[in-house]
Amino acid sequence: MIHKLGSVNNNREGFESLAELWSLAALLVARPLELDLSTCTSFDANMAAPLGAALAVIADKLNRTEIVGVLGPIENSLRRNQFLTNYGYPPLEAGTTILPFQRFQLTDERLFGEYLRRYLPGKGFPRLTEGAGKVFRQSIFEIFQNAVAHSESKLGVFVCGQFFPNELRLNFTISDAGIGICNKVRAFLGNEQLTSEAAIQWALAGGHTTRTGRRPGGVGLKFMQDFVRRNRGNIQIVSGDGLYGATTGYDKLHSSLPGTTVNFEINTADTQSYHDPDIGPENIF
Amino acid sequence: MADLTQKEVVVRVFDVIGTPLAVSSDDGQKVYDKIAPLLGQGQKVVLSFDKIDTIISAFLNASIGQLYGEFAEDKIRDLFNVREMSPEDLALLKRVVDNAKLYFENRKEFDQAWRDEAGGPQ
Repeated sequence: MIHKLGSVNNNREGFESLAELWSLAALLVARPLELDLSTCTSFDANMAAPLGAALAVIADKLNRTEIVGVLGPIENSLRRNQFLTNYGYPPLEAGTTILPFQRFQLTDERLFGEYLRRYLPGKGFPRLTEGAGKVFRQSIFEIFQNAVAHSESKLGVFVCGQFFPNELRLNFTISDAGIGICNKVRAFLGNEQLTSEAAIQWALAGGHTTRTGRRPGGVGLKFMQDFVRRNRGNIQIVSGDGLYGATTGYDKLHSSLPGTTVNFEINTADTQSYHDPDIGPENIF
Repeated sequence: MADLTQKEVVVRVFDVIGTPLAVSSDDGQKVYDKIAPLLGQGQKVVLSFDKIDTIISAFLNASIGQLYGEFAEDKIRDLFNVREMSPEDLALLKRVVDNAKLYFENRKEFDQAWRDEAGGPQ
Protein backbone atom coordinates (compact mmCIF):
# COMPACT_ATOMS: atom_id res chain seq x y z
CA MET A 1 0.00 0.00 0.00
CA ILE A 2 1.21 3.52 -0.77
CA HIS A 3 -0.10 6.32 1.39
CA LYS A 4 0.58 10.02 1.01
CA LEU A 5 0.69 11.60 4.43
CA GLY A 6 -0.50 15.19 4.75
CA SER A 7 1.02 17.78 7.06
CA VAL A 8 1.27 16.81 10.72
CA ASN A 9 1.12 19.74 13.08
CA ASN A 10 -0.10 20.20 16.63
CA ASN A 11 -3.67 20.81 15.57
CA ARG A 12 -6.82 19.05 14.49
CA GLU A 13 -5.61 18.72 10.89
CA GLY A 14 -2.38 17.07 12.07
CA PHE A 15 -4.27 14.44 14.02
CA GLU A 16 -6.66 13.96 11.10
CA SER A 17 -3.64 13.16 8.88
CA LEU A 18 -2.46 10.49 11.30
CA ALA A 19 -5.98 9.13 11.79
CA GLU A 20 -6.42 8.82 8.03
CA LEU A 21 -3.20 6.80 7.81
CA TRP A 22 -4.39 4.57 10.63
CA SER A 23 -7.84 4.06 9.11
CA LEU A 24 -6.23 2.78 5.90
CA ALA A 25 -3.40 0.77 7.42
CA ALA A 26 -5.11 -0.77 10.44
CA LEU A 27 -6.25 -3.83 8.53
CA LEU A 28 -2.95 -4.51 6.74
CA VAL A 29 -1.20 -7.73 7.69
CA ALA A 30 2.25 -8.76 6.43
CA ARG A 31 2.20 -6.20 3.63
CA PRO A 32 4.57 -3.42 2.55
CA LEU A 33 3.52 0.13 3.45
CA GLU A 34 5.16 2.98 1.58
CA LEU A 35 4.59 6.16 3.52
CA ASP A 36 5.11 9.02 1.08
CA LEU A 37 5.78 12.36 2.74
CA SER A 38 6.20 14.34 -0.48
CA THR A 39 2.96 16.24 0.17
CA CYS A 40 3.71 16.70 3.86
CA THR A 41 4.91 20.29 3.88
CA SER A 42 4.93 20.85 7.62
CA PHE A 43 5.62 18.43 10.49
CA ASP A 44 5.89 19.46 14.14
CA ALA A 45 8.74 17.30 15.41
CA ASN A 46 6.97 16.23 18.62
CA MET A 47 4.22 14.64 16.50
CA ALA A 48 6.72 11.89 15.69
CA ALA A 49 5.43 10.32 18.93
CA PRO A 50 1.87 9.51 17.73
CA LEU A 51 3.17 8.63 14.26
CA GLY A 52 5.68 6.29 15.89
CA ALA A 53 2.94 4.69 17.97
CA ALA A 54 0.73 4.09 14.92
CA LEU A 55 3.65 2.69 12.92
CA ALA A 56 4.58 0.41 15.82
CA VAL A 57 1.10 -1.14 15.74
CA ILE A 58 1.38 -1.49 11.96
CA ALA A 59 4.81 -3.15 12.34
CA ASP A 60 3.43 -5.45 15.03
CA LYS A 61 1.15 -6.86 12.33
CA LEU A 62 4.25 -7.85 10.37
CA ASN A 63 3.91 -5.04 7.87
CA ARG A 64 7.09 -3.40 6.63
CA THR A 65 7.05 0.40 6.48
CA GLU A 66 9.27 2.47 4.24
CA ILE A 67 9.24 6.25 4.53
CA VAL A 68 9.97 8.08 1.28
CA GLY A 69 9.75 11.52 -0.30
CA VAL A 70 10.56 13.44 2.87
CA LEU A 71 11.08 17.13 2.10
CA GLY A 72 14.45 18.62 3.10
CA PRO A 73 13.60 20.63 6.23
CA ILE A 74 11.32 17.89 7.57
CA GLU A 75 13.92 15.23 6.88
CA ASN A 76 16.45 17.35 8.75
CA SER A 77 14.14 17.73 11.74
CA LEU A 78 13.13 14.07 11.89
CA ARG A 79 16.73 12.90 11.54
CA ARG A 80 17.81 15.24 14.29
CA ASN A 81 15.20 13.85 16.66
CA GLN A 82 16.18 10.32 15.55
CA PHE A 83 12.70 9.33 14.40
CA LEU A 84 13.85 8.57 10.86
CA THR A 85 16.82 6.52 12.02
CA ASN A 86 14.31 3.72 12.65
CA TYR A 87 13.58 3.78 8.93
CA GLY A 88 17.12 3.65 7.56
CA TYR A 89 18.02 7.35 7.58
CA PRO A 90 21.35 8.26 9.20
CA PRO A 91 21.01 10.40 12.34
CA LEU A 92 22.01 14.06 12.53
CA GLU A 93 23.43 15.91 15.51
CA ALA A 94 20.46 16.64 17.79
CA GLY A 95 21.55 20.14 18.86
CA THR A 96 20.18 21.84 21.93
CA THR A 97 16.47 22.09 21.12
CA ILE A 98 15.50 18.45 20.65
CA LEU A 99 14.05 15.93 23.04
CA PRO A 100 14.61 12.88 20.85
CA PHE A 101 12.00 10.41 19.76
CA GLN A 102 12.23 7.43 22.06
CA ARG A 103 10.21 4.33 22.81
CA PHE A 104 9.89 3.00 26.34
CA GLN A 105 8.37 -0.14 27.70
CA LEU A 106 5.79 0.24 30.46
CA THR A 107 8.34 -1.00 32.98
CA ASP A 108 10.88 1.69 32.00
CA GLU A 109 9.80 4.39 34.49
CA ARG A 110 13.35 4.89 35.71
CA LEU A 111 14.74 5.04 32.17
CA PHE A 112 12.12 7.67 31.37
CA GLY A 113 13.34 9.58 34.43
CA GLU A 114 16.87 9.42 33.04
CA TYR A 115 15.61 10.65 29.67
CA LEU A 116 14.06 13.73 31.30
CA ARG A 117 17.13 14.31 33.44
CA ARG A 118 19.30 14.22 30.33
CA TYR A 119 17.20 16.17 27.85
CA LEU A 120 15.03 18.66 29.75
CA PRO A 121 17.84 20.94 31.02
CA GLY A 122 18.36 23.80 28.61
CA LYS A 123 14.88 23.47 27.08
CA GLY A 124 13.46 26.53 28.81
CA PHE A 125 15.17 25.70 32.07
CA PRO A 126 16.32 27.41 34.20
CA ARG A 127 14.33 30.42 32.99
CA LEU A 128 11.30 28.54 34.20
CA THR A 129 11.28 28.97 37.96
CA GLU A 130 12.35 25.94 39.90
CA GLY A 131 8.77 25.44 41.06
CA ALA A 132 7.28 25.68 37.56
CA GLY A 133 9.92 23.34 36.16
CA LYS A 134 9.26 20.87 38.93
CA VAL A 135 5.51 20.91 38.37
CA PHE A 136 6.02 20.51 34.62
CA ARG A 137 8.25 17.47 35.18
CA GLN A 138 5.63 16.07 37.55
CA SER A 139 2.92 16.62 34.94
CA ILE A 140 4.91 14.72 32.32
CA PHE A 141 5.46 11.88 34.75
CA GLU A 142 1.75 11.83 35.63
CA ILE A 143 0.97 11.18 31.95
CA PHE A 144 3.69 8.57 31.61
CA GLN A 145 2.45 6.82 34.75
CA ASN A 146 -1.12 7.04 33.47
CA ALA A 147 0.00 5.12 30.38
CA VAL A 148 1.80 2.58 32.58
CA ALA A 149 -1.24 2.05 34.80
CA HIS A 150 -4.05 2.18 32.28
CA SER A 151 -2.96 1.84 28.64
CA GLU A 152 -2.26 -1.90 28.50
CA SER A 153 0.15 -0.94 25.71
CA LYS A 154 2.24 -3.98 24.92
CA LEU A 155 4.17 -1.91 22.40
CA GLY A 156 5.17 0.69 24.94
CA VAL A 157 5.13 4.46 25.20
CA PHE A 158 6.49 6.88 22.60
CA VAL A 159 7.81 10.33 23.47
CA CYS A 160 9.28 13.26 21.57
CA GLY A 161 9.74 16.98 22.17
CA GLN A 162 10.89 20.22 20.60
CA PHE A 163 11.94 23.48 22.26
CA PHE A 164 11.46 26.81 20.51
CA PRO A 165 13.86 29.22 22.23
CA ASN A 166 12.70 32.32 20.38
CA GLU A 167 9.05 31.65 21.18
CA LEU A 168 9.80 30.46 24.73
CA ARG A 169 7.72 27.37 24.08
CA LEU A 170 8.32 23.68 24.64
CA ASN A 171 6.22 21.00 22.96
CA PHE A 172 6.33 17.52 24.41
CA THR A 173 4.22 14.53 23.42
CA ILE A 174 3.54 11.17 25.02
CA SER A 175 1.70 8.53 22.99
CA ASP A 176 0.88 4.95 23.72
CA ALA A 177 -0.39 2.17 21.50
CA GLY A 178 -2.81 0.72 24.01
CA ILE A 179 -6.52 0.50 24.69
CA GLY A 180 -7.06 4.27 24.79
CA ILE A 181 -8.71 6.42 27.47
CA CYS A 182 -12.10 6.24 25.76
CA ASN A 183 -12.32 2.45 25.61
CA LYS A 184 -11.04 2.20 29.16
CA VAL A 185 -13.69 4.59 30.47
CA ARG A 186 -16.45 2.90 28.43
CA ALA A 187 -15.54 -0.48 29.91
CA PHE A 188 -15.37 0.93 33.44
CA LEU A 189 -18.71 2.70 33.18
CA GLY A 190 -20.32 -0.20 31.34
CA ASN A 191 -21.48 2.05 28.53
CA GLU A 192 -20.12 1.15 25.09
CA GLN A 193 -22.18 3.94 23.54
CA LEU A 194 -20.37 6.68 25.44
CA THR A 195 -18.93 9.18 22.97
CA SER A 196 -15.19 9.81 22.90
CA GLU A 197 -15.85 13.38 23.94
CA ALA A 198 -17.85 12.30 26.99
CA ALA A 199 -15.25 9.66 27.88
CA ILE A 200 -12.35 12.14 27.77
CA GLN A 201 -14.41 14.67 29.69
CA TRP A 202 -15.11 12.05 32.37
CA ALA A 203 -11.43 11.07 32.64
CA LEU A 204 -10.31 14.68 33.05
CA ALA A 205 -12.64 15.44 35.94
CA GLY A 206 -10.99 15.46 39.37
CA GLY A 207 -11.54 12.30 41.43
CA HIS A 208 -12.51 10.16 38.44
CA THR A 209 -10.47 7.00 37.99
CA THR A 210 -10.96 3.62 36.40
CA ARG A 211 -8.82 2.16 39.14
CA THR A 212 -10.60 -0.13 41.56
CA GLY A 213 -9.49 -1.45 44.91
CA ARG A 214 -7.70 0.07 47.86
CA ARG A 215 -5.63 2.73 46.13
CA PRO A 216 -7.41 6.00 45.37
CA GLY A 217 -6.75 7.82 42.10
CA GLY A 218 -8.03 10.55 39.85
CA VAL A 219 -5.64 13.31 40.88
CA GLY A 220 -2.98 13.23 38.17
CA LEU A 221 -4.87 14.41 35.10
CA LYS A 222 -6.56 17.23 37.03
CA PHE A 223 -3.19 18.28 38.46
CA MET A 224 -1.71 18.34 34.97
CA GLN A 225 -4.62 20.38 33.57
CA ASP A 226 -4.42 22.92 36.38
CA PHE A 227 -0.70 23.36 35.74
CA VAL A 228 -1.17 23.93 32.01
CA ARG A 229 -3.98 26.42 32.60
CA ARG A 230 -1.94 28.41 35.11
CA ASN A 231 1.16 28.20 32.88
CA ARG A 232 -0.91 29.60 29.99
CA GLY A 233 0.22 26.69 27.91
CA ASN A 234 -1.94 24.24 26.08
CA ILE A 235 -2.68 20.56 26.10
CA GLN A 236 -4.27 18.28 23.54
CA ILE A 237 -5.53 14.79 24.27
CA VAL A 238 -6.49 12.38 21.53
CA SER A 239 -8.10 9.03 22.13
CA GLY A 240 -10.11 7.10 19.57
CA ASP A 241 -11.85 9.76 17.50
CA GLY A 242 -11.99 12.22 20.40
CA LEU A 243 -9.83 15.34 20.52
CA TYR A 244 -9.67 17.64 23.51
CA GLY A 245 -7.72 20.88 23.43
CA ALA A 246 -7.45 23.05 26.54
CA THR A 247 -7.77 26.14 24.37
CA THR A 248 -10.13 24.73 21.75
CA GLY A 249 -12.45 22.39 23.68
CA TYR A 250 -13.78 19.05 22.48
CA ASP A 251 -13.91 17.91 18.90
CA LYS A 252 -14.45 14.73 16.91
CA LEU A 253 -12.00 13.42 14.32
CA HIS A 254 -13.22 11.82 11.10
CA SER A 255 -11.60 8.55 12.16
CA SER A 256 -9.73 7.10 15.12
CA LEU A 257 -6.15 6.81 16.29
CA PRO A 258 -4.82 3.88 18.32
CA GLY A 259 -4.01 4.40 22.00
CA THR A 260 -3.84 7.80 23.63
CA THR A 261 -1.76 10.86 22.81
CA VAL A 262 -1.13 13.77 25.16
CA ASN A 263 0.49 16.87 23.69
CA PHE A 264 1.91 19.51 26.02
CA GLU A 265 2.68 23.04 24.92
CA ILE A 266 4.47 24.74 27.78
CA ASN A 267 5.13 28.43 28.19
CA THR A 268 8.76 28.48 29.29
CA ALA A 269 8.64 32.18 30.18
CA ASP A 270 6.59 31.20 33.22
CA THR A 271 8.13 32.62 36.38
CA GLN A 272 5.24 31.95 38.77
CA SER A 273 5.55 29.98 41.94
CA TYR A 274 3.42 26.86 42.15
CA HIS A 275 2.88 26.43 45.82
CA ASP A 276 0.25 27.55 48.28
CA PRO A 277 1.83 29.29 51.27
CA ASP A 278 -1.09 28.17 53.43
CA ILE A 279 -0.30 24.47 52.95
CA GLY A 280 2.18 22.88 55.34
CA PRO A 281 2.68 19.45 56.90
CA GLU A 282 0.68 20.59 59.92
CA ASN A 283 -2.59 21.10 58.02
CA ILE A 284 -2.60 18.41 55.33
CA PHE A 285 -3.92 15.40 57.17
CA MET B 1 7.68 -2.35 72.05
CA ALA B 2 6.62 0.06 74.78
CA ASP B 3 9.75 2.15 74.29
CA LEU B 4 9.30 2.16 70.56
CA THR B 5 5.97 3.96 70.80
CA GLN B 6 7.56 6.78 72.81
CA LYS B 7 9.49 8.02 69.80
CA GLU B 8 8.66 8.63 66.21
CA VAL B 9 10.01 6.27 63.61
CA VAL B 10 11.48 7.94 60.54
CA VAL B 11 10.87 6.04 57.32
CA ARG B 12 13.08 7.35 54.51
CA VAL B 13 11.42 6.96 51.15
CA PHE B 14 14.77 6.84 49.35
CA ASP B 15 15.90 3.91 51.47
CA VAL B 16 12.70 2.01 50.70
CA ILE B 17 12.55 2.59 46.93
CA GLY B 18 16.23 3.16 46.13
CA THR B 19 15.71 5.99 43.64
CA PRO B 20 15.06 9.74 43.75
CA LEU B 21 12.00 9.15 41.53
CA ALA B 22 8.85 8.54 43.54
CA VAL B 23 6.76 8.00 40.45
CA SER B 24 5.25 4.55 40.56
CA SER B 25 2.33 2.96 42.39
CA ASP B 26 4.41 -0.13 43.09
CA ASP B 27 7.07 1.90 44.87
CA GLY B 28 4.29 3.70 46.76
CA GLN B 29 2.98 0.32 47.86
CA LYS B 30 6.42 -0.59 49.24
CA VAL B 31 6.34 2.53 51.40
CA TYR B 32 2.75 1.83 52.50
CA ASP B 33 3.79 -1.67 53.52
CA LYS B 34 6.43 -0.14 55.81
CA ILE B 35 4.30 2.51 57.48
CA ALA B 36 0.84 0.91 57.80
CA PRO B 37 1.92 -1.81 60.28
CA LEU B 38 3.65 0.81 62.45
CA LEU B 39 0.55 3.00 62.52
CA GLY B 40 -1.47 -0.11 63.30
CA GLN B 41 0.65 -0.54 66.42
CA GLY B 42 0.01 3.05 67.46
CA GLN B 43 3.54 4.07 66.51
CA LYS B 44 4.27 7.66 65.44
CA VAL B 45 5.73 7.69 61.93
CA VAL B 46 7.45 10.45 59.98
CA LEU B 47 7.95 9.89 56.27
CA SER B 48 11.12 11.58 55.04
CA PHE B 49 11.42 12.62 51.39
CA ASP B 50 15.10 13.52 51.69
CA LYS B 51 16.94 12.84 48.38
CA ILE B 52 13.64 12.45 46.49
CA ASP B 53 13.45 14.88 43.57
CA THR B 54 10.26 13.90 41.73
CA ILE B 55 6.99 12.85 43.33
CA ILE B 56 3.72 12.20 41.53
CA SER B 57 0.18 11.45 42.62
CA ALA B 58 0.31 7.73 41.76
CA PHE B 59 3.08 7.27 44.31
CA LEU B 60 1.33 9.37 46.95
CA ASN B 61 -2.02 7.64 46.39
CA ALA B 62 -0.45 4.25 47.07
CA SER B 63 1.85 5.26 49.91
CA ILE B 64 -0.29 7.78 51.81
CA GLY B 65 -3.77 8.06 50.26
CA GLN B 66 -4.33 4.39 50.86
CA LEU B 67 -3.92 4.92 54.63
CA TYR B 68 -7.38 6.54 54.71
CA GLY B 69 -8.92 3.21 53.77
CA GLU B 70 -7.31 1.59 56.80
CA PHE B 71 -7.13 4.21 59.53
CA ALA B 72 -9.38 6.97 60.86
CA GLU B 73 -8.47 10.54 59.95
CA ASP B 74 -7.87 11.41 63.61
CA LYS B 75 -5.44 8.56 64.01
CA ILE B 76 -3.50 9.54 60.90
CA ARG B 77 -3.39 13.16 62.06
CA ASP B 78 -2.08 12.13 65.49
CA LEU B 79 0.49 9.58 64.38
CA PHE B 80 1.68 10.46 60.88
CA ASN B 81 3.58 13.28 59.27
CA VAL B 82 5.98 14.05 56.44
CA ARG B 83 9.16 16.08 56.17
CA GLU B 84 11.66 17.31 53.58
CA MET B 85 8.98 17.88 50.98
CA SER B 86 9.11 20.96 48.77
CA PRO B 87 6.17 23.41 48.87
CA GLU B 88 5.03 22.17 45.43
CA ASP B 89 5.07 18.57 46.62
CA LEU B 90 3.13 19.50 49.75
CA ALA B 91 0.48 21.10 47.54
CA LEU B 92 0.22 17.86 45.55
CA LEU B 93 0.05 15.81 48.75
CA LYS B 94 -2.82 17.99 49.97
CA ARG B 95 -4.75 17.17 46.78
CA VAL B 96 -4.05 13.47 47.23
CA VAL B 97 -5.16 13.47 50.86
CA ASP B 98 -8.36 15.44 50.19
CA ASN B 99 -9.18 13.10 47.31
CA ALA B 100 -8.47 10.00 49.39
CA LYS B 101 -10.81 11.15 52.17
CA LEU B 102 -13.61 11.61 49.66
CA TYR B 103 -12.78 8.35 47.89
CA PHE B 104 -13.03 6.22 50.99
CA GLU B 105 -15.99 8.06 52.52
CA ASN B 106 -18.17 7.91 49.46
CA ARG B 107 -16.72 5.31 47.13
CA LYS B 108 -19.89 3.37 46.49
CA GLU B 109 -22.02 6.46 46.05
CA PHE B 110 -19.43 8.10 43.81
CA ASP B 111 -19.16 5.10 41.51
CA GLN B 112 -22.93 4.89 41.13
CA ALA B 113 -23.24 8.63 40.53
CA TRP B 114 -20.65 8.42 37.75
CA ARG B 115 -22.41 5.47 36.17
CA ASP B 116 -25.74 7.32 36.35
CA GLU B 117 -24.13 10.37 34.77
CA ALA B 118 -22.70 8.22 31.97
CA GLY B 119 -25.93 6.33 31.42
CA GLY B 120 -24.41 2.98 32.32
CA PRO B 121 -25.92 0.03 34.23
CA GLN B 122 -27.37 0.55 37.73
